[in-house]
Amino acid sequence: MRRFVLGEFSEPAACVEAARKLREGGVQGLDAYSPYPLHGIDEALELPRSKVPLVAISGGVLGALGGYALQWWMNAVDWPLNIGNRPPHGFWTNIPITFESGVLICVLSIFFSSIFYFFALPRPYHPVFESERFRTASLDAFWISAETTDQEAVPELERKFREAGAHKVHTVAETV
Amino acid sequence: MAETAIEARTALRPLPLIQGAQDDGTLNKSLNAYVWQPPQRGWLALLLIGMAGTGMLFAAVTLTIAKGIGTWGNNIPVAWAFGIINFVWWIGIGHAGTLISAILLLFQQKWRTSINRFAEAMTLFAVMQAALFPVLHTGRPWFAVYWLFPYPSTNSIWPQFKSPLMWDVFAVSTYFITSLLFWYLGLIPDLAALRDSSTSRRARVAYGIFALGWRGSARHWHHYKIAYLLLAGLATPLVLSVHTIVSWDFALSILPGWHTTIFPPYFVAGAVFSGFAMVLTLMIPARRFMGLKHVVTPRHLEAMAKVMLCTGLVVDYGYLMEHFIAWYSGNPYEMHVFFFTRPLGPYAWAYYLQMFCNVVVPQMFWLKWARRNVWTLWVGSVLINVGMWFERFNIIVTSLHQDFIPSNWAMYYPTWVDLTLLGGTICFFGTLFLLFLKFLPAVAVSEVKELNHELHEGHAGVSLHTPPGPLHAGELEST
Repeated sequence: MRRFVLGEFSEPAACVEAARKLREGGVQGLDAYSPYPLHGIDEALELPRSKVPLVAISGGVLGALGGYALQWWMNAVDWPLNIGNRPPHGFWTNIPITFESGVLICVLSIFFSSIFYFFALPRPYHPVFESERFRTASLDAFWISAETTDQEAVPELERKFREAGAHKVHTVAETV
Repeated sequence: MAETAIEARTALRPLPLIQGAQDDGTLNKSLNAYVWQPPQRGWLALLLIGMAGTGMLFAAVTLTIAKGIGTWGNNIPVAWAFGIINFVWWIGIGHAGTLISAILLLFQQKWRTSINRFAEAMTLFAVMQAALFPVLHTGRPWFAVYWLFPYPSTNSIWPQFKSPLMWDVFAVSTYFITSLLFWYLGLIPDLAALRDSSTSRRARVAYGIFALGWRGSARHWHHYKIAYLLLAGLATPLVLSVHTIVSWDFALSILPGWHTTIFPPYFVAGAVFSGFAMVLTLMIPARRFMGLKHVVTPRHLEAMAKVMLCTGLVVDYGYLMEHFIAWYSGNPYEMHVFFFTRPLGPYAWAYYLQMFCNVVVPQMFWLKWARRNVWTLWVGSVLINVGMWFERFNIIVTSLHQDFIPSNWAMYYPTWVDLTLLGGTICFFGTLFLLFLKFLPAVAVSEVKELNHELHEGHAGVSLHTPPGPLHAGELEST
């Protein structure tokens, strides 16, 4: 059963500082929660570089190539259309749709990869929601959590959280 | 010397972006208050009017589909009329939303934060109205699918990709999808805040479903920030491409008054011009009745007035160039349109109305008092919307009604179906907007909280606090 030790902070800077201290103190499975992105939390938690741009560029390139190929194959290969005796394969007239399909696939891949892969949402239940007090994480407070499966480690973690400056510390356990 | 410095400092010190001493808690309460309070009588009355108009819209759409576009006033030679005017007008209105949410984000204009959600919603709803018109204009919308979308039908024929009308389909649908996803991504943290501040189980479940279980994790924000920025970066060239392609619907034809190379920049500027006018038209009453004056301050209104003035001047330059090139080309048909049909022909009243609304009216925003007075701003923005509608009317109708052969010439008059469709889309737009204001946070709460925090920390480059006491001589030079 997964347990989460939660600590609440009322100031963003204190939360970032505490996250740094806890990580340097060797606490594993750390995460922070805030109503808006915290400055410096990425460094404090040593988060690896986001892969969203990689997904975006792949989606964009594939979309553009696909869009161009679609027009070329449909209008020049599968069913050549003769409009005013213009060549069936018109490079310049294919540009607008190539651009639009590049943008479209890029946007779709950024959005859906973020939601389903990077955020792993939708996920209506998460153990941290066991705490009724945790509601403030999206409103006006800042939280840090440490995940552990070892019940013995909980008191030690709670002590470390208090030392880091959390004014409220408690532990929640996964129920499903 | 000292006084000059003080004056200079006062002039340079901008009005506040967020008024009063706010923290996350008060912002949360005040910005979401409208969602939690019972509906006001004014809101209900407007919703009722909006829904009645939407009913009229559906009646007119049904009639158009059942009887065909013979119920509309357009015919040869004026084959495009209200359908395309309304399409271009609505899509142009939408562009300000993307400009505010994406382009101003990239330029780090902090004042966008309070109005971006509002403007993005306007974009979405405006594009929905816009999309209705070309679909109806095809006459048989159920067949339009295979002309417009490349899907393998039993006719085994594909769309004609060399036509700007096809580019339009791709541009507008990409634009709608991008705007929707960008808007929703921005909404997720605010939906989570609504879920967490809800007092009833029903609200908690409803907002909980749309919040997707967002918990504000740093590991999510880490990706979220980049995804949001990338979407903004993509929306920026996209919005320019959309109205460029809309203008190509005209510019790639050979009709006098349409066939000009200035159309793309002039259409994009016109779109932003009318879009900002619509944001102001909606925002001025909304900030008053929804209690948003502390986050939508005179600073925001003034900035929007400046954008209108600037884009208005670009539009005016477009008008000037059109006329100059018509004269310079020596083409008798071009000159006929620009120097006879438009200023002296039977639709001259529309031409002068357009010129008054788009050229004369925005000039008042050179004056500071006009930029800071809600009445001048509101009346000005409504007139600009009217003017921009008539601009499209003039481009389309006056160019068509007197074409190359005088025996073809005919007048265009809209029918009651045309007028109902225009009025109906305004009501449908209003209805969607009212529902948005009531059920979703009209201001990007999490972004405003972040901005408020930055202002307090001095990250945003502007300080909340005014310097105490008078400044000393030379202070301006030393800072």
